[in-house]
Amino acid sequence: MSTGTGLAGRIGGFADMGHVGGLVVLVLLATAVTFFLAPGLVVYPLAAVVVSVAYGWVTDEATTARTLALAATVVTVLVLGLIMIYLVARSLPAFRAMGLDILTKTDGTLWESSEAIYSLVPMLWGTLITTLIAAAIAAPLGVAGAVFISEMAPDWARSVLKPAVEALAGIPSIVYGFIGFTVLNQFMMDEFALPDFGSLFVVGVVIGAMALPTVVSVAEDAITSVPGPMKDGSLALGATGWQTTTDVTVPAAFSGISAAVLLGVGRAVGETMAATVILANVIELPDPLYDVFGNTITLTSLIASQYGIASGLQMSALFAAGVVLFVTVLGLSLGSQYIERRMQRKLGGSE
Amino acid sequence: MAETNTASLTRGTSGSLRYAAGTVTALGVGVLLVSLLAFAGAVPTGTVAGVPLLDSLAVVLGVGALGMIGVGAASGAGLLDTTPDHTAGTSLAAVFGVVGFVAGGLVAAQTLGLATLWPVGGLAGAALGVGLALVPREDVALAATGGGFALVASLVVLTGVIDSGWSWQPNGLSVVFSADTTVPLLFGVAGLLLAWVGAQAIAGFGTQGKARGASLLVSANAAGMIALLVVLVSFIAVRGWGPMTEGVRYGLFWEPFTWFQVPIWDQWVIVNAPIVWLYWPFTMEGVAITNAVNGVAPAIVGTVWLVIGAVTFAVPLGVGTAVFLTEYAEQGRLTALVEVATNGLWSTPSVVYGLFGLAFLVPRIGNQSTLLSGMIVLGFMLLPLVVITSREALLNVPDEYRDASAALGVSRWETIKTIVLPAAMPGVITGTILGVGRIAGETAPILLVLTGEPFPAEGPDLVNLSAGFTSSFPFVEVSAINPDALLQSATALPYQLFATITAGVGDLSDGFRWGTALVLLLVVMSFYAVGIASRIYFRRKLDA
Repeated sequence: MSTGTGLAGRIGGFADMGHVGGLVVLVLLATAVTFFLAPGLVVYPLAAVVVSVAYGWVTDEATTARTLALAATVVTVLVLGLIMIYLVARSLPAFRAMGLDILTKTDGTLWESSEAIYSLVPMLWGTLITTLIAAAIAAPLGVAGAVFISEMAPDWARSVLKPAVEALAGIPSIVYGFIGFTVLNQFMMDEFALPDFGSLFVVGVVIGAMALPTVVSVAEDAITSVPGPMKDGSLALGATGWQTTTDVTVPAAFSGISAAVLLGVGRAVGETMAATVILANVIELPDPLYDVFGNTITLTSLIASQYGIASGLQMSALFAAGVVLFVTVLGLSLGSQYIERRMQRKLGGSE
Repeated sequence: MAETNTASLTRGTSGSLRYAAGTVTALGVGVLLVSLLAFAGAVPTGTVAGVPLLDSLAVVLGVGALGMIGVGAASGAGLLDTTPDHTAGTSLAAVFGVVGFVAGGLVAAQTLGLATLWPVGGLAGAALGVGLALVPREDVALAATGGGFALVASLVVLTGVIDSGWSWQPNGLSVVFSADTTVPLLFGVAGLLLAWVGAQAIAGFGTQGKARGASLLVSANAAGMIALLVVLVSFIAVRGWGPMTEGVRYGLFWEPFTWFQVPIWDQWVIVNAPIVWLYWPFTMEGVAITNAVNGVAPAIVGTVWLVIGAVTFAVPLGVGTAVFLTEYAEQGRLTALVEVATNGLWSTPSVVYGLFGLAFLVPRIGNQSTLLSGMIVLGFMLLPLVVITSREALLNVPDEYRDASAALGVSRWETIKTIVLPAAMPGVITGTILGVGRIAGETAPILLVLTGEPFPAEGPDLVNLSAGFTSSFPFVEVSAINPDALLQSATALPYQLFATITAGVGDLSDGFRWGTALVLLLVVMSFYAVGIASRIYFRRKLDA
């Protein structure tokens, strides 16, 4: 029943929180501070949280519940903030030592911990190539799959395909990687005479298959959210179902579909285990650059393959790779959300 | 030819057209499937009944191509009852522009030996493809492009331009195309294109034809996805089943079930009961030299604890956030911010979570890889999934419920507790189960914060009922839990699979790897199966 205005009112009424809510908030804050400063002692404020929540639950259940819900919300947002802060903080030494070279140094030694040279260019290139291949696979096939599920499939096919796509999304990335490592790598060496174990092409194909379900399910949501009357109008004018799909439904859902592709690309960029086990993770650029059957490393597989042996500045360089990844994927996520929001507004905000 | 055509007024396609074009489509699909199998090595490319497989495929493809050209020519001459458009449209032109570019470039580079001038050949080919697609009437264009390409592909093999000794290494790429892989690829593309144009011919070209062709392609794509799932799962199942079930012994015995001493009588009473006895070494043993069969029991235990820990951490937080966003907060900037943050968390790469755990949790918890860190990091990963699905479930609870409850004078919290949350519970549970399926298979985050010894003999020993109050790290207050286990490194199924790959073969057999992969897949897929089944169940119940 919050009628407060201003910031306090907007976040759910601090005003009428009462002494119980205040107490719980205080104890939670104490816990957080303790965890930051003296994690070994965190059990004492934690016990205090339990006691005060129990006390609050008995005396004023509603306020306690609301305070806890607010606290959960704050923690959720805080997690994202903490990820940003800690990644950036740990990567600063590498950025400071290398300057802009960390993103642009392309010649000479690229990665040598004894000389303290860390350039992320090979990883950026590897991630770019694998992502492009993955997007070239996942985007058209995923959108076609979404069109099939939402527009063309008979009921039985839909009831098979939707769980199948979900299950496909559920296959762990390490399993894809394992298949790529044991089967596809061998296949490429046997049949296509690749000189070494692992290639960007295989990683791109595998990651494309992994990003496919994401594209399908998000694009399907977008296509399904196109209002029925729009399609009905087209059909009533004598257009075939396929004409309606290509000329009315897909254009109307276009922004949602591109959001789906962006999310799929984000998945592909962040995919770790498949790239780590399939690639040989050598830190050099493929020669020539466009040799997609060559071997290099991606941002993700750099972290996963070097975290064990890294320390000091090298560890910081791994965090720098993490920052690049995080910023890229967050950008893609924000972009897709912006597009989706615009689409919802355009379609009359059918929530 | 225009025989007894009493078909409907709207789309009259004669029987013979349907028959011929249907055959063409079937041949195209057949060539596509056999080519795929041949490419994957599932069908030997050797000789079948004296004729090399690829040669017989070429003949079939050529027959289909001639059939398509025949259909196109007959339709172009007005012999068939078709409704072609004036032009085939840009999609066909785009497809055959690409096909023509690749083919022209290859011919220029390979046959004519123009090393640097291959783009010229490519452009010429593209121009030819686009021209054939756009200039003639639709029926002729489809026959010329789809049928023509299939015919050329077939002739290239039949005339020996590409024979079994053929190979080609593109300039600068470290790949060699040999006949054994190139011909199936070429035939696969030709078969698909032939099936596409054939399907358009079945419906008599025109808009109906386009719809039919598109439906063929899109359905094939969907079938491909199902095939991908089936192939992946069955591939692992076939290879992993043997190692996974190696040494399983079971039986039903009539054995002492329980026994006790009767106090006054001073006699032992032994109760016999049928007992199912099962020894499944792969899931009950760790890795040790003394084991007859090495197993993944420690990893299973580790995964179970990780999941339990992540759920206890993420579900209260996630549901609390969703309740706050949906029930308490006014919809505005703040809720939008939280939503953006949640979606950002959802798409954050798993390895970044690992780095975060390494930087934030590890120094605070034991300063080494610990089970607790693994639980919390996976909890962080699960959190956005729980928030998103719970919020959706809460939003789906009709406002009438809330209004009715409020009209009866029930307070807001009581309404949430007794009306809204129970109504939303199915969605929350389903979403959580699906989310758990995802994090149970995650490797990258736990790689950085959880793992130590890759193949331990025993899993984390977390339940220790005899343990009392410990002071070593006073984090867990429940005395039934052994807090030391939380502060030690552990292993988990996905990590163990990763370790089998990186560890080199050594003392681990190939079967052990596949068995591990199968167990992991089974664990994850069972979460998904339960999640999807419960969602279907709850939907049915709601609809009923």
